[in-house]
Amino acid sequence: MIFPEVSWAAIAPEIALVAGAVAILMVDVQWKPHTRVLGGIVALAVVSAAVLSVGQWLRLDTPGDITTPFGGMIAFDRISVLARFVLLAVAAMGVAGGWRLFERLGRRAAEALALVLLATVGFSFMASSIHLVMIFLGLEVGSISLYVLAGITRERTESDEAAMKYFLLGSFASAVFIYGVALTFAGTGRLALLGQRAFLDANILTRPAVLLIGLALVIVGLGFKVSAVPFHTWAPDVYQGAPAGVVGFMAAGAKIGGFAALTRILFTAFPSMTDEWSSVVAAIAAVSIAVGVVLALVQDDVRRMLAYSGVAHAGFILTGVVAGATATTGIWFYLAVYTVQLVAGFAIVAAVTGSAGSRSDLGAFAGLATRSPFLAGAFTVALLGMAGIPLTSGFVAKFGVFVSAWQAGFEWLVIVAVLASVIAFGVYLRVIVVMYMREPGDDAPAIPTVAARWMLVAATVVTILFGVLPQPLLDLARNAFSV
Amino acid sequence: MTVGPGWYMTLAAALFSIGAIGMLVRRNALVMFMCIELMLNAVNLTFVAAGRALGTLDGQVSVFFVLVVAAAEVVVGLAIIVAVFRARATASVDELSELKG
Repeated sequence: MIFPEVSWAAIAPEIALVAGAVAILMVDVQWKPHTRVLGGIVALAVVSAAVLSVGQWLRLDTPGDITTPFGGMIAFDRISVLARFVLLAVAAMGVAGGWRLFERLGRRAAEALALVLLATVGFSFMASSIHLVMIFLGLEVGSISLYVLAGITRERTESDEAAMKYFLLGSFASAVFIYGVALTFAGTGRLALLGQRAFLDANILTRPAVLLIGLALVIVGLGFKVSAVPFHTWAPDVYQGAPAGVVGFMAAGAKIGGFAALTRILFTAFPSMTDEWSSVVAAIAAVSIAVGVVLALVQDDVRRMLAYSGVAHAGFILTGVVAGATATTGIWFYLAVYTVQLVAGFAIVAAVTGSAGSRSDLGAFAGLATRSPFLAGAFTVALLGMAGIPLTSGFVAKFGVFVSAWQAGFEWLVIVAVLASVIAFGVYLRVIVVMYMREPGDDAPAIPTVAARWMLVAATVVTILFGVLPQPLLDLARNAFSV
Repeated sequence: MTVGPGWYMTLAAALFSIGAIGMLVRRNALVMFMCIELMLNAVNLTFVAAGRALGTLDGQVSVFFVLVVAAAEVVVGLAIIVAVFRARATASVDELSELKG
C-alpha cells in the first residue's frame, strides 16, 4: 500500500489560520471575552501564517521549484505563497478596516472573525491546489463563508437579501464550475492539472468537444466568482447589501481566489489549448471593461460604483490572462495593488456611512475634505490608484497587463481597455469632486477607528510607493514563477 | 442495444440543463435551491459514468467530495432562506428588491 506524501510544511500557514478560527470559537464559548481579545487571536493567526509563508518562500530555492505533496493535491510553489501573502494582507486590512462592525456585532463577532479566517483558508487553498477537486473544495470553503458573512447582520433586511442573492447565484456558479470539472475529467481521464497537461501533450484529441465544453464551463464558473460580465449581476447587490465592514474583504478575497484558480487551471493544464480559450477570455475581458465602466458612471451609490468598477477591473486583469503564463507577474502585481485599494475604499465607505449600514449615497461624501481631511485624502489616493493615474500603483499594474496582452497579439483588446480606462477617470473623479468641492451637509464628522486609520495609512503608502518604485514588488512576483 | 456510459452522460447533461433552466425561470428560492441540487447530482452522475468508462476510481471518489459540499451548502442555504422567510413571510426572489440601481 502506498501512502501519499504528507508534507505539513506545505500547508502550515493554512493550519495556523484554521487553528486561529477554532481558537476564536472555543475561547468565545468558554470565556466570552471582549471583542478585542478575539481580534488579538486573529492578528496572531494571520501573523503566524505570514511568518510560516516567509519560511516556505525561503525553503523554495528557485522560482520554478514545485512539489506536489498529498498525492498531487497541493502545489508547494512560490506562486501559492505569493497568493497567500496577498490574501493575508487583505484579511488583516479587512478586519482592521471593518473593526467597528465586529465590535457592534457583540456576541456574533466571534463567528464573523472565524468566518473571515476560514474564507482566507478557502481562497488560499484555491491558490495552492493543483488538483481540480481540491480547487473546488477551496472555492466552496471560501464561498460558503462569504455567504454567511454577507448576511451576518441578519436583522437588517438588506443584509439577508444580499446573502440570499449571493448564495443562490454563487452556488449556481459553483455547480457550473464542478460540472465543467467533471467534463474535463471525462475528456482527459485526469483531475490533477499536471496529469491533464501530460495527457494533452501526449495525445491528439479527435473529438475535443466534451473537453472544450468543460473548459468553457470552468471559465464561466470562475467568471462568476471574479464578477466578470455577463456573470456580474450579483456583485452590486451583494456589495450594497452586505455590511460595509466586511465587503472589502469579501470582494478582494473572492477576486484573489478566483483569479488564482483561473490562472492555475489555464496556465498549468491547458497551455496547449491557448488558441481556444484566449479568444473567449478576451471577449469576456472586453465586455467586462466596457460594461463595468459605463455602469459605474451612472451609479449614485458609492458601493455600487465600486462594485461596477470591480467588474471593470476583473476585465483588466483578464486582459493579462489572455496573454498566457508570461503575464503572471503582471496579473499578480495587479491583483495585489488593486485588492489593497479595494479594501481601503470599502473601509472608508464603512467609516463614512456606518459599518453595518447599506446606504452609501454619493451625497454622504459631500464635503468630506472639510469634515475629515484624512479620510478624503486616503480615499482620493485609493480612487486615483484604481483609475490608474501615473505615480500610483494602479498605473504600473495596468501598464503591465496591457503590455502583455499587446505582445500576445491582442491589440484590439488593449485599445478597448485603454479607451475605457480614460473614461473610467470620470467615475473616480466624480467622487473626488464631491468630496472636495461640494458643501458638507449636516452629517456628523466621520471618525475612523484607530485600526482603520493605520490600515488606511498602510494602503496609501503601498499605493504611492509601488507607483513610484514598483520594482521590488515586480521582482517579487517575477521570482515567484518561471516561464 | 447496450446502455453504455455515454447514455448516462447524456442523461446527466439533460438533468443539468433542466436544473440550469429551472434556476433561470423559477422564482421561489426553495425551488431554485432544488434546481442547484439537481445540477450537482447531474455532476455526480457524470463523474461516475466517466470514471466507469475510463476505468479509474477518481470519478467515484470525487462524488463524495461533491456530496459533502452539497450538504454544507444545504445547511447554509436553508438557514439563509429561513431568515429571509421570517423577515418577509415569502420565499419569492421577486420580493427581494430593496437592492437595485
